[in-house]
Amino acid sequence: MEAQSTALKKVQSGLTPLDELLQGLRLGDNVVWQVDRLEDYPYFAHAFVDKAISEGFECVYLTFAAHAAILEPRNGLTIKKIDPTPGFDYFAGEVHRIIEERGRKVCYVFDNLSDLVDEWATDELLVNFFQVTCPYLYQLDDVAYFALRRGQHAHSAIARIRDTTQILIDVYHVGGNTYVQPLKVSGRYSQQMFLPHLITLDSWEPVSRSGDAAKILATAVRKPLNISSESIAPWDSVYRKLVQNRESLDDWSPISHETKVLKEALSRMMIGNHTKLIQLSERHLSLGELLRVRDRLIGSGRIGGKAAGMILARSVLLSGNGEIDFSQVLEEHDSFYIGSDVFFTFLVNNDLFEPRLELTKTGSISRDEFAKLEQKFFEGRFPDEIMEQFRGMIDYYGQAPIIVRSSSLLEDGFTDAFAGKYRSEFCANQGSPEERLNAFLRAIKLVYASALNPDALAYRHRRGLGEGDEQMAVLVQRVSGMPYKRYFFPILAGVAFSRNLYAWTNRIDPKKGMIRLVYGLGTRAVNRVSGDYPRMIAVSHPNIRPETGMEAAKYSQRLVDIINLEENTLDTRPFSEIIKGNNYPVLSLLTSEIADGYLRDWFVTSSASSSENLVLTFNNIINRTALVKIIGEILRRLEEAWGQPVDIEFTAYVDSEENIRVNLLQCRTLRVPTLTGPGVDIPKELPKEQVLFRSSRAINAGMVDKIGYIIYIDPKKYAENVKIDTKKALGRVIGKLNNYLRKKQHKVMMMGPGRWGSNNIELGVNVGYADIDNTAVLVEVAREKAGHTPEVSYGTHFFQDLVESDILYLPVYPDEDGSDFNTSFFSHSPNVLGNLLPEFKDYEDIILVIDLPMATDGASAKVIADPKTRHAVCFLEKGQIQKTKIQKKGKK
Amino acid sequence: MTSINPFEVAKRQIDACADILKLPPSVTAMLKTPMRELHVALPVRMDDGYVKVFQGFRVQYNDAKGPTKGGIRFHPDETIDTVRALASWMTWKCALLDLPLGGGKGGVICNPKEMSPGEMERLSRAYIRAVYQFVGPERDVPAPDVYTTPQIMAWMMDEYSAIAGKSQFGVITGKPLAVGGSPGRGDATARGGMYTIREAARSLGIDLSKAKVAVQGYGNAGYHAARLCSELFGSTIVAVCDSKGGVCCTTGVDTAAAYTCKNQTGSVCNLPGMETISNEELMELDVDILIPAAIENIITDKNAGRIKAKIIAELANGPTTPEADDILYQNGVHVIPDFLCNAGGVTVSYFEMVQNYYMYTWEEAEVYERLDRKMTAAYHSVLNTSREHKINMRQAAYVRAVERVVEAMKLRGWI
Repeated sequence: MEAQSTALKKVQSGLTPLDELLQGLRLGDNVVWQVDRLEDYPYFAHAFVDKAISEGFECVYLTFAAHAAILEPRNGLTIKKIDPTPGFDYFAGEVHRIIEERGRKVCYVFDNLSDLVDEWATDELLVNFFQVTCPYLYQLDDVAYFALRRGQHAHSAIARIRDTTQILIDVYHVGGNTYVQPLKVSGRYSQQMFLPHLITLDSWEPVSRSGDAAKILATAVRKPLNISSESIAPWDSVYRKLVQNRESLDDWSPISHETKVLKEALSRMMIGNHTKLIQLSERHLSLGELLRVRDRLIGSGRIGGKAAGMILARSVLLSGNGEIDFSQVLEEHDSFYIGSDVFFTFLVNNDLFEPRLELTKTGSISRDEFAKLEQKFFEGRFPDEIMEQFRGMIDYYGQAPIIVRSSSLLEDGFTDAFAGKYRSEFCANQGSPEERLNAFLRAIKLVYASALNPDALAYRHRRGLGEGDEQMAVLVQRVSGMPYKRYFFPILAGVAFSRNLYAWTNRIDPKKGMIRLVYGLGTRAVNRVSGDYPRMIAVSHPNIRPETGMEAAKYSQRLVDIINLEENTLDTRPFSEIIKGNNYPVLSLLTSEIADGYLRDWFVTSSASSSENLVLTFNNIINRTALVKIIGEILRRLEEAWGQPVDIEFTAYVDSEENIRVNLLQCRTLRVPTLTGPGVDIPKELPKEQVLFRSSRAINAGMVDKIGYIIYIDPKKYAENVKIDTKKALGRVIGKLNNYLRKKQHKVMMMGPGRWGSNNIELGVNVGYADIDNTAVLVEVAREKAGHTPEVSYGTHFFQDLVESDILYLPVYPDEDGSDFNTSFFSHSPNVLGNLLPEFKDYEDIILVIDLPMATDGASAKVIADPKTRHAVCFLEKGQIQKTKIQKKGKK
Repeated sequence: MTSINPFEVAKRQIDACADILKLPPSVTAMLKTPMRELHVALPVRMDDGYVKVFQGFRVQYNDAKGPTKGGIRFHPDETIDTVRALASWMTWKCALLDLPLGGGKGGVICNPKEMSPGEMERLSRAYIRAVYQFVGPERDVPAPDVYTTPQIMAWMMDEYSAIAGKSQFGVITGKPLAVGGSPGRGDATARGGMYTIREAARSLGIDLSKAKVAVQGYGNAGYHAARLCSELFGSTIVAVCDSKGGVCCTTGVDTAAAYTCKNQTGSVCNLPGMETISNEELMELDVDILIPAAIENIITDKNAGRIKAKIIAELANGPTTPEADDILYQNGVHVIPDFLCNAGGVTVSYFEMVQNYYMYTWEEAEVYERLDRKMTAAYHSVLNTSREHKINMRQAAYVRAVERVVEAMKLRGWI
């Protein structure tokens, strides 16, 4: 109690920046310095002792190691030499005696504790010494400095020291600079406390920009995460053999046959067995890179498709020759991988293996059942050795935000993209190390649980992957970006596709690809958001855009996804609020200004324009920087290496000199919609009464015939007469219909207002993939007066789902000339919803289900979409609409 | 599908006026014929290296009252008949405001959605090179229109000046402020409409400070209209809407908050704490003034009978169908027709010409004051004509405008 009452009294370290960083030392603090060069330790120790003596504290230097003295004799300093050779018992006793003799409020400096291992041979005794000494010093309100060498002790040993001490600080060198990074500071907190800090003559500067932090930390010498030296399993033995050669090899040195075989074996164990993966790995992945992956792997097993795609794509770019030197463009990455075996271990240890087995067989789960299952995942626990490694990783990232991403074995492979099926969870990563660890654990459990979510199961089932080997590896990435105000986000983020099917003019070369670019986190580029638009860039003609004049302001991004460092959450804020004050560094590159009633690009960088008048156009990024050229080259090279179209996710940083740095987050195969094929020519002479609708803005091509059912949600009714609760329930009803008609093996067309899958229920039916996966055609109906406008969703996960599932997507504008929208047919066809699903009869007012053969005397619907003309038509065939057969709605 | 020829529609309106004014057939024929048309071919080097030839027009419909004035449209579906029709409407609009200007229009068949800013600049300059002999501060003064912006006006002015060998800011209006644009242009259309609303309220005995106002459409014109109604008259804006829906509040909608909400979320209907309302419901609210400020044909024979507003101020172009016009007139709804109500834009364009001519820029307040005088005079002139001929305000506006052009033609000895 006494120690606690005095613990808040501050002691100065002699270094003002250190006092600021730690918010001062306190009586009772034990401070452990983990240094990669012992020469650094005296710097901190000298300053501490100088200050302590000047403040009247008694100071004692306990020396026991063979290295040079940390402190020289001087007035006010007592030097006590202790011999460690008699062993732990004697040594610990002597130290205890000295501390006891000196009493309270004494300052101590110890020699490098790592030297004790030379004497005592194990980390265990070292830790024991620390665990008996440290609490005693704390009780007496003493302050003590200790040193340890970085990377020389087992993770478990460091973990115990960390648990015992009050302060643990890493000190390391990268590129001639010295960095300090606190890993634990008891009872004190600031938003930048756990970031690496660059020591300069004047100050200690936090390294908060992700690219800089990754470069520093990835380069800093670090012990591999997990080496089991005893195991004879191939997992460990192959690695051990390769490590033996590591020191003598640089990344691309010629390697012996034996090493080559071992490298291939390790690659198969970590990256995967797919022929294409093996080829890419052999050609582009150096031994050094492979080992670096292994060094950052938590647990064992594979790193999964997403991680493999990211690593291979980076290697392809860095190993190739071309106009762009990607070593100058790509930002360093310092990701961690959680091996797929950890997923299995988690399932087995927490009684989740059986439920998972059952679900992958049946291929479906209700949303309620899933919520219960997810809860079970939350309650699950990881083995201690894995937890230790998680802690190490959390320490490594400090307070830098991270993203925990699914990287399952099937995900992002060469045939299946699984776009957005499994979760990715942002961790704002603020708070104490323990709080940050807990947030991370929650995130990883959410990702694990998402392996069984309804959309993922439906997707797997549809793709015939039901019982395929699906283990969930996890990729942990540093979130790209830098802090601004109380937020953290990248300047630029986006997705890019090596094929551009959103070509609104034939001037655009689809083979050059396209980019969806946003400000802030890339979640806004991949998700279907309403009323907010990323900048769409055709790589072949970046300056041409489908909006003119002030339309560019209307179709612009207004909301920004960011990490809120204060709230410790993923957040979305209005752009104008974020940039209020207009001092964001590269605003003139990102925005155009509304002035005199029109939109103009900034010519000079200073302006008093209100943030309300700034519009995210990215015009100057496109015109003045190399971003589009770089992304275009990335797409070209990756498509060449992959041997098929690809899509990527990236973030980018632009400095004041307008240089671009890109962080490649993901690369996977892109399934492009069918462009040609038999039967896509639109019949010229169709009787008008046979036509149900036409579209002049088709995006993908195809022909779907023998459609037996149409599910139609009237846009006008949806906009005006439907209560919010009913709207919320519609997705579930559609999902039930979807499953019912699947079981009956009927071909279905779904038609509804605005944007299917939108997160804003006012703008479209809020369905998930599992609710629509059986439809053959999905039609977005835009009635101007109802205020619904289909947005070209090309590039979103939702669109990818449609493409991968061969669902034909059509926007239809009934109020436009030439739409030939057969209003009469839709308003007079009988509704069979109540017959099919009696429990949903109440929804007949809003959901119309048309049994086409019944309504038309045996006809079915056929849809033909021609991407060259972008025209599509839906018509009835084999039988005409027999008006006499059509009864008034509601009558059977 | 057969589409309606807009020039035929324009000619029918002249016929209707001719009947009322009992014009001789030769005069009517003159009014139904554009005085000059120029068709030009515009070769432009595209970014990809090839040369594309665009087709352009300039129509000077009638310059009896002075140099012709009218916008330049860049549109893929541009036709000479559209340009002719719009040039004729510009003639009547300028005459209605009693500006010393005739009417004109221009267009280029092109798709700005398929062109880069560099290509747009080269096309704009090519257009001016092609029509240089035809336009000028004292001949024909273009302005922005569909898909043409103040930036394009600046390029065009620069090209014209380069050929002329001297600064010729007055050749074009709608320029950015830094190169001879006029202060007050930003809200000129809405502000001009406000002056006509004020006069209409006076003539109908409506106290605007107690008036309830609904605004349909919340783009540039709609927002400024709502703001100015509140600022200038102290009226209560009880409802506003855009294409996605609207909000209403009997104690008044905060117009600035609604504007911010639309900018940040894409629609005013996301404004918190408000009751939501559809476009259709807004049109039929029990208000004193209804301001359609967005799209055409929003008032039709289907809803005209249910409109409760005392004044409809048409800031949008063509919000009322002819059938609806008749119903409103019969029901005693006072309509301020579009080409009077939204003539603030062209009036400030004219002021821009004057300032360029003077080489002197007015303060914003002076622009507003002069705009007020012009709009007020035009309104009363239409009202008087309406009463005199017992015709609705729209017909009256046409009659008054045509009357002025005919008078000028007569004085100049053309007829």
